[in-house]
Amino acid sequence: MIQFQQVTKRYPGGLDALKGLSMDIQPGELVFLAGHSGAGKSTLLKLIAGIEKPTSGTVLVNGQNLARASRGSLPYVRRHFGLIFQDHKILFDRPVYDNVKLPLDIIGFDGREVKRRVLAALDKVGLSGKEKLNPIALSGGEQQRLCIARAVVHRPSILLADEPTANLDRDYAHDILELFKSFHQVGVTLVISAHDETLMADYGRRILRLKNGQFTA
Amino acid sequence: MKHWFRLHGLALSRTLGALLRHPVATLLHLAVIGLVASLPLGLYLLLTSVGGVAAKMPVEPQLTVFLKPEADVGALRAQLAKDARLAQTRFVPKDDALKAMESAIGSGDLLAGLAENPLPDAFVLTARRDVPAAELTRLEQNLLTDPGVDTVQLDSAWAARLEKAIALGRHALQVVVLLLAVALVLVTGNAIRMQILTRREEIEVAKLIGATDSFIRRPFHYSAAIQGVLGGLAGCGIAAGAIAWLNPAVGELAAAYGQPFLLALPGPVELAVVCATTMLLCLLGAWFAVWRHLRRYR
Repeated sequence: MIQFQQVTKRYPGGLDALKGLSMDIQPGELVFLAGHSGAGKSTLLKLIAGIEKPTSGTVLVNGQNLARASRGSLPYVRRHFGLIFQDHKILFDRPVYDNVKLPLDIIGFDGREVKRRVLAALDKVGLSGKEKLNPIALSGGEQQRLCIARAVVHRPSILLADEPTANLDRDYAHDILELFKSFHQVGVTLVISAHDETLMADYGRRILRLKNGQFTA
Repeated sequence: MKHWFRLHGLALSRTLGALLRHPVATLLHLAVIGLVASLPLGLYLLLTSVGGVAAKMPVEPQLTVFLKPEADVGALRAQLAKDARLAQTRFVPKDDALKAMESAIGSGDLLAGLAENPLPDAFVLTARRDVPAAELTRLEQNLLTDPGVDTVQLDSAWAARLEKAIALGRHALQVVVLLLAVALVLVTGNAIRMQILTRREEIEVAKLIGATDSFIRRPFHYSAAIQGVLGGLAGCGIAAGAIAWLNPAVGELAAAYGQPFLLALPGPVELAVVCATTMLLCLLGAWFAVWRHLRRYR
C-alpha cells in the first residue's frame, strides 16, 4: 500500500533527513516508527502524505508515485489519509465540532451526513458532549483526541500519527494506542511514530527504527 | 452538480459570516472602493453632461461681420460670395436683427426711447469645416481692412475650444481610470492578504488534509466580489450625492448664462458598469493575493 524505493530527502542547506530508504507497508498493517528526535520520523510521514517531495527515489501510495503527482491531484491523494500532527494543528477560532467537520467540508459531504459523522467521531474518541466547547477549554490529552477525531471523521484508509503519545502520561498514552488498535482492527493501515519504544513493545507489532535518516535493525 | 453547489454555498455563507463579523473593517474597505470608484464616475458624468451641451452648439466656425452705416452692402456681398473659404453667407439687415432681439427679450417696443434703430447691418458667415483656425483669423483680418466693416466676431471659436477641452477631459479620464484601477487591485489585494494572514492556520490545515486550491481560493474570491459590487454601489452613491449637492449651484450658474443645465446623475447603465468593473478589479486583486500565498504549499 505504501512503498519507498531508495528515497532520499535533502532539505535546503544540505541536511539529509532521509538517506536511500526502502520499505513496504501492507494494507491493514500497524507499523511503529521509532527513533530519536531528528532521526527523520516526521519527514518520513510527510513524504508518505505527499506534504514533502522526495529529493530522489520513489514514494508509491496505492500504486501512485507521489514524487510525480501533479499539484492538482495531490489534494485527492491526501484524502486517503488521516493525519495526526505532533503539534495537533487545532483551530482555536472555532468550536470542537467545527474542527472535526473541516475534512468533511473539504470533501463536500451533505449536512445531515456531516452531523452524523462528526458526532460519531467525537463519540469514538470520548469527546461526546464537548462539541460546542472551544478547543482551548480542552486538556492536552483531549486536544490530542480532538485531533484524532478530525483525522478519522472521513474514514480514511491510512492513518499517519506523528508522536501521538508525546507529552501524555503513560496511562493516557495507552488509551490513545488502544484507540489506534481499534482502528487497526477495522482494517485501517496505521503508521505511528514515537520516541518511546517501551510503549510499542506492549503491542508487539512491526517496528521500523530510524537513526540519522536510515533504518537500523 | 449538487456537490459543486454545496461547496459554493458553503464558501458563500462563510464569506458573508466573515464580512459581518468584522463590520468596521468591511465598511472601511467598502468606503475605500467607493471613493476610488466615485472619482472617475463623477468625472465621467461631468464630461458627458458638458459634452451634451457642447454637442448642441454649432461646431462650424461662424463669423459675424458688423457693418458701418455707410457700408456698400452689395459690393461686400459680391466679394463674400466669391470666397472659397465660406460655406454660407447670410445678410441680416438691422431691422431683422431688431425683430429677433425683440422676440428674444419679449418686449415689443425696444425703440420707445430711441430716435432710430441702433443695431448695425450684419453678415453671418459660416466657414467650411475644413478651414483651419489660422485661415479664419486671416479672413477676419481681411474683412477688417474693408472700410465698410466695423467689427468682426468669431462666434463659434469658443465652442471649438470647449470641444477640445472636453476631448482633453476624456483623455484625463482614461488616465484617472487606469491609475485608480491599479490602485483598486492593489488595495483589494492587500486587504485579502490581511484576511489570508488571519486565516493562515486554517489554510495550512486545510491544505494538509486534502483541500484543493479552489477550496481555499473560493471564500476569498467571494469576499472580493461581494465587496467589489457593494463598493461599486457605494461609489455610485457617493457620486450621486456629490452631484445632487452641486447641482443647485450649477443650475444657478447656467441660468446666469441663460442655459438650463444640470449635471447628470448616474443611471442604471453607469451603475452596472461601475459595479461590474469594481467587482472584476477586486477579484483580480484577490486572485493575485491568494495565488501568491498558495504558491508556498505543495
